[in-house]
Order: sequence, then structure tokens, then C-alpha cells
Amino acid sequence: MRKRLLQVAGVAAVIVAVIVLLKLAPAGSASASAALKTAWGDPDLQGIWTDDYQTPLQRPVKYANKPEFTEQERAELDQQRAAILRRNQRVEVGTERDVAGAYNAVFQSIKHTGKRTSLIVDPPDGRIPPLTAEAKQRADTDRQFRLALLQATATCKNGDTACAGGKYGPPSPRYKETPPFYNTGRLNRSNGPEDRSMTERCMAAVLPDFTGYRRIVQGPGTVSIFYDVGQGQGWQRVITLEQLPHLPSNVRQRFGDSRGHWEGNTLVVDVTNFSPKSDFQGARQNLHLVERWTRTDAKTLEYQVTIEDPTTWTKSWTVKQEMNRQDEQANRVYYEPRCHEGNYGLPALLSGTRAEEAAFAAGKGPDPATKDSATDFGAEGGVDALAGGG
Amino acid sequence: MSRSTLVAAVVVTAVVTAIVSVSVTRTTGQSSRPARTADGKPNISGVWQAINEANWDLQAHDARAGAVTQRGVYPYEYANVPAAPVLALGAAAIVPGSVGVVQGDGQIPYTADAAKKKAENAANWIDRDPELKCYLPGIPRATYMPYPFQIVQSGSKIQMIYTFSNAARTIHLDNVADPPDDTWMGHSVGRWEGDTLVVDVSHFNDKTWFDRAGNFHSDALHVIERFTPINADALRYEATIEDKNVFTKPWTIAMPIYRRLESNAQILDFPCIDFTEEFLYGHLRKQQLVKHWEGETIAVDITRKVPAGERLFDWYGK
Repeated sequence: MRKRLLQVAGVAAVIVAVIVLLKLAPAGSASASAALKTAWGDPDLQGIWTDDYQTPLQRPVKYANKPEFTEQERAELDQQRAAILRRNQRVEVGTERDVAGAYNAVFQSIKHTGKRTSLIVDPPDGRIPPLTAEAKQRADTDRQFRLALLQATATCKNGDTACAGGKYGPPSPRYKETPPFYNTGRLNRSNGPEDRSMTERCMAAVLPDFTGYRRIVQGPGTVSIFYDVGQGQGWQRVITLEQLPHLPSNVRQRFGDSRGHWEGNTLVVDVTNFSPKSDFQGARQNLHLVERWTRTDAKTLEYQVTIEDPTTWTKSWTVKQEMNRQDEQANRVYYEPRCHEGNYGLPALLSGTRAEEAAFAAGKGPDPATKDSATDFGAEGGVDALAGGG
Repeated sequence: MSRSTLVAAVVVTAVVTAIVSVSVTRTTGQSSRPARTADGKPNISGVWQAINEANWDLQAHDARAGAVTQRGVYPYEYANVPAAPVLALGAAAIVPGSVGVVQGDGQIPYTADAAKKKAENAANWIDRDPELKCYLPGIPRATYMPYPFQIVQSGSKIQMIYTFSNAARTIHLDNVADPPDDTWMGHSVGRWEGDTLVVDVSHFNDKTWFDRAGNFHSDALHVIERFTPINADALRYEATIEDKNVFTKPWTIAMPIYRRLESNAQILDFPCIDFTEEFLYGHLRKQQLVKHWEGETIAVDITRKVPAGERLFDWYGK
């Protein structure tokens, strides 16, 4: 009996050993689908990813009822878009219009036209759903304040689109007011850092994000994603796969609080607890995301996110994006976010405005309120067929 | 070896393996955490934190009255009093004493010029320490700042995510090109030596510090780190620091790093960019919030208003 037991145990040990050997077998010897699993058996999302193609978030009105381009249309659009003049166009050198549109072609990459006419897949028209009455009110209140600060500028005098809905007149008494909401965009005022945009303050990153690069590193129970969103800005995200409740509701974070789990090969992440300082398309602390990350093949990572905020949109909407695997070895663009460490622009903007105020007070210069430091004139110079807002 | 001996040996091995597996698989309210990864390396995933005084000063030191002090009644350093910028914080601004983390004789082997600069740095802490400006903390400092950091461990990459400034670094255990420029957090290339993760960190700039005491380096900094498990919940951390422009020889710091055992431990947002804008740019506001700027220097007049009903002060007042 004892010998028999030993033999059974021995067979069991051999089986265990074989299983261990199988587990340790290099990926190359496994099937293609097994190669997309981590050593501990989770779907493998790791690598550096970006969307190699240009697809507008919203479907431009001219492509209504047309969810996809033909190959020929894509080739034609590539040609048209490469030729848009504004990429190297400068308005009168040395003027405020020129400075405000400082980023020319050197700073912008032109990607090939993507297959779909919008990243938004739901609603089926490819457009962000209508705002709620409350959100319209918020947007209007915000817009009125911005227009009041612009009203003494040439932008309004010339009837530029940036002043649409506003009027031209003397500097507004609202120039002395606190913004109606925590400001995230460029105000035409530089009383302090809070008047400038999140980009100028090196806090441009938001979630969800459809630009830039991500580096994903996984461990058992955790998925980490570093987002490089350009201009030296980026942020590190950690998604726990532990069964944990969300943070207490009074704890608010710029990028929310992520809780993930696997559904088959898909990483599903629930994101809540956003901060009132975060601003995604006008949604702030009530934003709720459900993300789905799926490795569809060795070189493709599909990202789908359902975006919900009942205080902002009349219904939820869904964005889908296919990201392409990038070279691991090159190690060039995926780098540390050091915008803040080298932010000479923000103090220069503030001190420049103080100098203008001093000059104005001494009768040696124009009222700074008559100058426009809010409008990005560079964005007006040409019409990209893929500009999603239209 | 006879067949039965072989079988017995296999069985013993299997049983021992099973016992070892059971004894090192543990739960702390989280899902089970094996002591080793699928590829047999020590499992160092998780949320960790150094618990010591290294971020104040790497070297052994007495407690100090404040993070910045000035001469008090006596002309001795040990009798200094807190300087104005931290005075209102009372005991919250005290620098705790420490036995130090510098190995060997406890000295940092500065060149004569560098020792002078270190002393100047300490005297000008508020203006010079990159920590106060929310700049990326660099390596090794990120490891022992008084905040948790997380290790996400994969086979070919290990990501370290720090609370401070939302900083992070990727440790490359595979082949990767050098970075095109110098960096704040360094370029980390790792390898396993037995159960020790050895990380070679290079390509630094000269802008980070080692602590709040003014210990510094140049862009010739080269750090070799060693992470060795002591047990499932503690690592020994060692960093050897070389910089021919600043130090006469390499020197080493060492300390344990502890696992944060809370089942809900996670790295929280640390939005220090906007929290430091007032510190960095307050003098450039149209209407300054601090009333007394002299150029870029905050001249702080400490005002501490004692609220009515504070027993001790009421008693003194009688």
C-alpha cells in the first residue's frame, strides 16, 4: 500500500513538474493567442501604444450618415490635409495674432486619415449627445464671462469668430470678477496663474484621452498606464484589479479613481471620483467612465470608453479607438513629463502683463485689456476636413 | 540510484515544494500574493514606503527647531530658533533627529568645493530645494520621500510609481536605447542578481537633490540601486552614489522599505503643480495674496492670531 501511495504521489509530482515546465515555456513555442497572455495568465496589454491615424472625435457634419471612408477617400483626404497652408502660415510677424498662434507645422504631426469618420461610435450619428439644460446654462455663463473679457480687443472689433456672440466696447467691468467656474481655458486676462489654461499651467492631461502615447506595464492584480500627452505633459495611472470599493466620495482626483476587472480578454475599468478641477468637454466631478481595453492582435489594442455625466449630457456616449503598438527599443518620445520644471512661459506671461499694466498706468502703452491673449488664431487659418467640431 | 529511491526523491521534492508554496502564499485582505512571480523572481509588486528621516537629511543629525532656523539668543547652532517662514507651524516644522542612512563612517565624501555648496544649499533651503517647487524628485530621493510608492512588476519592465509629483520611472530589464537627453528621474536599466533587483541609473541632469539638507549632485551622477527582499513585507534598499564632479569616492545609503499592509492602500493624486503656483508665481499676481514680496523673495511677517477661548493663552493673559 505504502509503495502504491508513493507511486501515485510520484505520478502527481511528475504532472506538476510538466505543468510547471509548460508554464515556463517561452512564448515563441506557444500558439499566437497564448503569446498575448502574461506569464501569470492575464491578457497581455503591455507595450507602447498610440493611434497611428487621424480620426476626429465627432463626425464632421459633411460626413453625416457616412461612418467610414473608402480607401480612395482616405488617400485624397491625406493629400488635401497635407497641403493646408496654416501649418506653416504666420500672420504678420511680431503681432499678437502671430504670437498667439505660435505652434506651426514643426510642432504638429500630420497623421494619415483613419478609416472611420468619427471616434464616437454611439450615438450612431458620431456626435456628442446634446447638453442638458443645466450644462447649457453653465456653458453660456462661462462663455459670457470670456466674451466680456474679450470685448475691448481687436478680435471683437474685427468680428473674429472667436468673439461670436459678443460685442465690441470699452473694457468690461467684469474684468475685476472671479470666473464663474474654476477656469481651465485661456482667459483674456493674466491676473494670476488661475486665469491661464491648464495647458499653460502644465496640467493639460485629462481622462479620457485620445491623443499621445501610453506605456502599459502590468503585474498580477495591477495595470499601470503612463500617458504621454505631448508638450512635456503626462501622468501615471494605476488601475487596481483587486475587488475594492471606490474611494470615499469626498476624495476627488484629477484623473478619477480606477477599478478594473477582466471580462474574458477585456480589461474593464470603472472610473469615478473626478475632481471639479478636471474638465473633459465640460464634464467635471460627475464624470463617470467605463473603459474596455482589448488586445485584438499582436499590434492592436482596442480602447472603448462609455462616457456618462447626467449633469452634462442628455445620454451617455461611446468612443472607440484602435491603438497601434510602437517600437519598444527606440525610447525617444515616451518620456518624463517635465513641463512644469521648465515652465518659463507662465511666469513670462504674468510678468509681461504686469509690465504692460505699469506702462499703461504711466501713459506709455495701451490698456492690457485691449489686447488678446486668449484666442488661438493659428487654429483659424485653414479648414481641415477632419476638424470634428463643424 | 534505484527506481524507488528516485520516486521517493521526487515525492520529497514535491512535498517540500508544496509546503514552501503554502507557507509563502499569504493574504492580507488582498488576493493571495505569491512570494515569487511566474518566472521565479521575488515578487516585489505592491505599495511600499520608507519609514525613516532620510528625506530631511541622509546623515545622522540632532533634531532641529525647524526646517529653516536662525540664530536665537546664543551663538550656537544647537540653540537656533525657527526662522520666520516656518515659525507659525510650531512643532509641525521640527526636523526629527536621525541615526542616518549613510553607510560606513556616515560621511558623504564631498570635494572641498562641493562641501561649501552643500552648506550654502542648506542655508538657502527654501529657495533651492527642488522638492518645494514640485519638481520631479529624482533617484534615489523618490524612494525615501515620506509618501508611498508602487511597484508594478512584469518580466521585462518594472514600473515604479511615486506619490510625489505623480512621478514614475520604467526600469528596463530588456534591451532599450539610451534616452536622447538628460533626465530628472534617470534612465533605469535593471537585472536580477539572484533575489536582488539591481538597477543601474544614469543620464541624470544636475537639478535634483538627495534630501532637504542640501545634499546634491551634478549631471555626472550614477546610481546603482539594489532591492533585496528581507521577507514578504520588507525590502532592503541600497543605493551606491557616484559623481566624480562632486564626491571623492562612491558612497552608499541603505534602509529597509516596508509594505503598506492596508488592504486598500493605493497611490493617490498629489497635484502639487497647482499647489505650488502661489509659492512660485505669487509675486507675479496683479493682486498679491502674500502682502510682502521683495522681488521674488517672500518676506513673511508671521502673524499668529490666538482665538478666544484658548485656555493656555487666556491663563497667561491674566
